[in-house]
Amino acid sequence: MTSQWRSWFHKLIAVAIFLSPLLLINPKTYITITISGLAMGMLLFLVSSGFSLIFGFLSVLNLAHGALFAWGAYIGFSSFNLINQWTGWGGSNSLLLNFIIFFLALILAGLLVALLGIITERLVIRPVYGSHLFQIFITVGAMIVLEELIRIIWGPNDEVMPVPINFMGSWDLFDVVISKYPLMAIVIGFILYLVIFTILRKTKIGTIVRAGVENPEMVQVMGHNIYRYFTGVFAAGSALAAIGGGMWATFVKSIHPAMGGEIIVFALIVAIIGGLGSMTGSVVGALMVGLSYNYVAYLVPKASLGITMLLLVIILSIRPTGLFPEGT
Amino acid sequence: MKKEGLNPVQHFRLREKETRFRTPFFFLRILLLAFFVLTPFLFRSFEVLDVILKIAIFSALVASYDVILGYTGIVSLGHVLYFGIGSYLVGIFMGKLGWTSYGHLALSFLIAIVISGILSVLIGLFSLRIRAIFFAMVTLAFMEFTFILSSQLRSITGGDDGISFKLPGILAIDFSYGKILGIEFTGRLISYYLIIIVSLILFLLMLRFVHSPVGRVLQSIRDNEQRSIALGFRTYHFQVIASSFASCVAAVTGGCFAIWVRYVSPDSSLSVPIMLDVLLMVIVGGMGTLYGGIFGATFLMVTRAFLPKLQVLIASLLPGVPLAIRLSERWLFYFGLLFILIVYFFPKGIVGTAQEIFSKRRGS
Repeated sequence: MTSQWRSWFHKLIAVAIFLSPLLLINPKTYITITISGLAMGMLLFLVSSGFSLIFGFLSVLNLAHGALFAWGAYIGFSSFNLINQWTGWGGSNSLLLNFIIFFLALILAGLLVALLGIITERLVIRPVYGSHLFQIFITVGAMIVLEELIRIIWGPNDEVMPVPINFMGSWDLFDVVISKYPLMAIVIGFILYLVIFTILRKTKIGTIVRAGVENPEMVQVMGHNIYRYFTGVFAAGSALAAIGGGMWATFVKSIHPAMGGEIIVFALIVAIIGGLGSMTGSVVGALMVGLSYNYVAYLVPKASLGITMLLLVIILSIRPTGLFPEGT
Repeated sequence: MKKEGLNPVQHFRLREKETRFRTPFFFLRILLLAFFVLTPFLFRSFEVLDVILKIAIFSALVASYDVILGYTGIVSLGHVLYFGIGSYLVGIFMGKLGWTSYGHLALSFLIAIVISGILSVLIGLFSLRIRAIFFAMVTLAFMEFTFILSSQLRSITGGDDGISFKLPGILAIDFSYGKILGIEFTGRLISYYLIIIVSLILFLLMLRFVHSPVGRVLQSIRDNEQRSIALGFRTYHFQVIASSFASCVAAVTGGCFAIWVRYVSPDSSLSVPIMLDVLLMVIVGGMGTLYGGIFGATFLMVTRAFLPKLQVLIASLLPGVPLAIRLSERWLFYFGLLFILIVYFFPKGIVGTAQEIFSKRRGS
């Protein structure tokens, strides 16, 4: 078998596995579940891509990533409420105004959390570059502090995330129920994936970052101030986490301070499955986790987390370094 | 004394035997043990007893974590998982199944040890193979998974409410032996002494383990993995051994914890906050020292016991300032800050720094 055939064969098997729930679920429900699975996958991708890139480039296991995600959700929540109080766009019937307020909230969350990421990287992580052990400790410390700051600023209770009016509800296409927001989440996630991919592939910064994932010393030798890129990648990863946080909060319609701790486990699993430091790996891993989670949640609700762990165990035992190599 | 032909471990033991009674540490250890034994006679309040016993349990737990972290140099973020397994098995046997007898208590411990051993070997087998950092991620994922499992499987674990249970015979609350030296010997006190003894045994076991030939290899892996590989050690096997040993110890401490509080729930014995506590205790006490666990646990438990009082004080001093009250409530915030500061400025912890000072003095 030639290698091209082989790669097609693998893809075919993957597609067959993800079509197999059709045997148990009726096709209309299958489409609905698939859409919410893809949406979950795209949102997971936003979180885990930053996580994975930070690990690949800075070789920092950033456990504070979940807290940054929660910060994104909370800032999105606050800015949405503020803008809505001021203009009332969230409640208006115009889809355009809904989109504007939604994106404004997301952009604000992204920018502010990027700033927070820069502060975290500079103050907390910079002094311990090179020591894996201390990095893990320090990011755990940062995670605690950031999460507790949320509790101090916004209070420890759950809040209801406001959703623009036109984002709620669903379309009915030939008796297939398609929820509006998950579809938008898929589109936004995919656009962001394309943006990240183009930046990494086509621009000079992207080339440097990819080179840094492979060999940071060599990048330094070539005369680039790698620490500046470290900060930049950390900020970008934080911004992605924040955007993911805001979109996730709109998806599940509620936020609470510990939400980051739950998502970080998914991000870890996705990053391990896809291969640490790989963008393509992140998107494939995230979609795998999102889809399998949703199918199993529909069929056997209690086993939904189990399937994610099973996926991790299987992938780790057949490909211990993840599906895709670093820097792809 | 003939010293030729001895391997380093025998050499170390011989030297320790010779200098055993000359160092102050020996007497310090005796003093510490005496303190634990005499606590019920010294302090009559239950709160103090509770804090002291939790210090003992957590010292053993933190020491077992230290075997992985400080002696082997691999980071596990899911060590509390085994603690939870130990707690839950005692809880399920005593509470859910209602098998309150000594035999079943022993059986629950045994099963907990076996399950923890097998699970940790499995986790180690497929996550330590490539990069030690995977181990941290996979253990964290498994702990979170077990945490959610324990709150979902209501029929077995009692969900978020947990299980409260009774213990057999002399450990039961209503048991009373009578008065000894003016202290009433209740079931609580007997379980106190039982747990102190178990913790002591575990601690000695771990000391023996880290000073054994295997422990030496582990330390060599921590200090220079490449070199240990070159010397012909299968580092991967040794790492798995260390992690499973520590997990079994953690399972026993978990069972002891369940015996003391007579209650298990996901939050009290299997959650991420406990893992954070353990991490903080290790850092405060000092990695790679085992004794550091005692200091770390003492520090954290005592602060935690006094924090509510401090909170009341702040609330009474600054009435009507919601931010101040909120700031005083979030003590975990300060622990997080402390955590970062200790890693920066005090990375060897209390015992590590003390050892450094002593060895400098001896050297000069």
